[in-house]
Amino acid sequence: MDLEPNKKFVVPIGPQHPALKEPGHFEFAVDGEIVTGATVRLGFVHRGIEKSAESRTYVQNLYLMERVCGICSHVHGTAFTIGVEHLAGVTVPPRANAIRVLVAELERIHSHMLWLGVAAHEGGFDTLFMYSWRDREKVMDILEEISGNRVHYSANVIGGVKFDISEEQRGKILSSLDFLEERTRHYLKVVNEDETFLGRTVGVGIMTREQAESLGAVGPTARASGVERDIRVDAPYAGYEQFPVRMITDTRGDLHARFVVRIEELFEAYRVIREILDHMPEGELTARVPRRIPAGETISRVEAPRGELLYYIKSNGTDMPERVKVRTPSLCNWGSITSVAVGHKLADMPMLLVGIDPCFSCNDRTITIKSAGVDLGWTWEDLRQHGIEAYR
Amino acid sequence: MNNISLPPLVALLVFPGGLFLMALGLAYEYIDRKLVARFQNRLGPRWFQPLADLVKLLAKEEIIPDGVHRGLFIILPVIAVAGALTAALYTPLAGFMPAYSFPGDLVVTLYLLSVMTLSMGLAGANTADRFSLIGATRTLTQLFSYEAPFLLALLGPAIAAGSWQISTINLYAENNRWMIFTQPVGFIVAIIGLMGKLELPPFDAPEAETEIVAGALTEYSGRGYALFRLGKDIELVIGLTLVSAFYLGGLANPLEFLLKTLALLLVVAALQSLFARLRIDQTVGLWWRAGAILGLVQLAVIIAGSSWLRPLLFK
Repeated sequence: MDLEPNKKFVVPIGPQHPALKEPGHFEFAVDGEIVTGATVRLGFVHRGIEKSAESRTYVQNLYLMERVCGICSHVHGTAFTIGVEHLAGVTVPPRANAIRVLVAELERIHSHMLWLGVAAHEGGFDTLFMYSWRDREKVMDILEEISGNRVHYSANVIGGVKFDISEEQRGKILSSLDFLEERTRHYLKVVNEDETFLGRTVGVGIMTREQAESLGAVGPTARASGVERDIRVDAPYAGYEQFPVRMITDTRGDLHARFVVRIEELFEAYRVIREILDHMPEGELTARVPRRIPAGETISRVEAPRGELLYYIKSNGTDMPERVKVRTPSLCNWGSITSVAVGHKLADMPMLLVGIDPCFSCNDRTITIKSAGVDLGWTWEDLRQHGIEAYR
Repeated sequence: MNNISLPPLVALLVFPGGLFLMALGLAYEYIDRKLVARFQNRLGPRWFQPLADLVKLLAKEEIIPDGVHRGLFIILPVIAVAGALTAALYTPLAGFMPAYSFPGDLVVTLYLLSVMTLSMGLAGANTADRFSLIGATRTLTQLFSYEAPFLLALLGPAIAAGSWQISTINLYAENNRWMIFTQPVGFIVAIIGLMGKLELPPFDAPEAETEIVAGALTEYSGRGYALFRLGKDIELVIGLTLVSAFYLGGLANPLEFLLKTLALLLVVAALQSLFARLRIDQTVGLWWRAGAILGLVQLAVIIAGSSWLRPLLFK
């Protein structure tokens, strides 16, 4: 042990740590229990998805993109298809758009309930964790009922969706929603009224509106700080023009506000799903899309459960994209942790980390390291050569 | 209260100390885990799980990390268990007379129980691991916060009974109105103090897994870890015995012992699943702002009542 005075006592969290469900590395310099500095290191689960997208056709890529994230697979598929459809100049039938929104909102419900459980667990409130995950099974059951899968529902195809919602399924969804809505009301009450829970969330990790804007925070994290930023409202895509959502914001910017914003978004999701099921447009499920996508480039944005998800797609006129760039919402929110952490207790760190609902594997991309003016970035040739030699 | 006279060696190794106490500790750990699991809508462990955990841990290699004092590392778990086992000899375990008893054994018992926490704190401070060091700091901080209120809460019945001998207080509790009704504040402070002592949720900041992995015991594996866990189980039994003997009308026979301690365990398990974890500063604040003052106020009332009011009323 180093007993030198003035030396920082650093508590490492990760890459392997009980608080983390995915690998990431955080170093908190502490003075007693007070955090005096925080750094984040990412990139432990870089999977080379963007590069592999360049050697697959658009149809194959759809399956690949759905696998960027295990929690929000549908929004990745949606963002990709919207981009490709835009390049191809295809208009998606309204019924397909409605189903896309329906699945997206179901996904938001499952993601927010999962987050509620994880966040409660980080705060040592395991009872809430167990109960919210039990109730989350309901929405997983709905997703399985309509798509056949619990996790990768794979609802999208380029030009539409794969499955319809039958009258019987509609009834099942509605009855499950009633149950979920009642439970969500209970959770809102717990989050707002439980004294020990309030003691861990109120006034913890306050991010002001100015901070949120300058750090480029997105999604519920930004909305809890009063930033009105929601792609579903700002730039409606798929069926959100026909079925608008209300933006949920809070001005306090602390952990409690993030809980409230996410839970309120659940109610909004229930409302939108009911609206869609009641006013489902009639018509086709898919539009014809050419195999070769005309050359061009496009950006598509969707609102993932964690915030703005951005896809950049460049086509060269063949059936494979020239470049696909993914920017997931978690990447935008990391800055909020390192700047807000200082001055808080070490015990608040796990909840603060989870407060942005991070998704590590999704946001890990190639990092170009530049030090003292020397570019240490590797070219594709360098990487290839390294791969050959390293595994010889 | 029944009294059985056993040869000292049997009393130490088999009943009421030793094997019996260990078995009881494991059984109570199972009940606690099962109850919390059911409250949390989980299935919970099977009945032999605590024993299986213990056997598995005992069979495992004990890794002694670099940078520790080897002797201390090995001896601390033993001291912890020894302290807990010794404390058991002065308590009316299973409703029988304590195996050993002398005036003032209440204070000795409480300090023997604290040896366990102290050992854990030292064990954490002994290693170079950062999680252990923070866990050790928290363990000792928590010790300083709950110890005084817990002591005050157990002194209430002692003063009412006019004795600092556990068996006498137990006898007094049997023959008078249950002290949970006459001293409700003390009961609440005592039961929460017990949870703090055992580092049960929501007072589990010293071993908060999402922050500092396993706290002071992070570097412990195998035998040492098994002993610490066993010590905690024994302390759970002793704590429940003490609180139910003092506040729930004494323990006159094994059946009463079982019913009263299990009822108390039910309450403890329910409290464990009700709250979010308190930060260590919140724990300390709760104890010194609420626990200690409530304990003191009650103590003042009891002293005033027994020394001044009673002669006035029953002249």
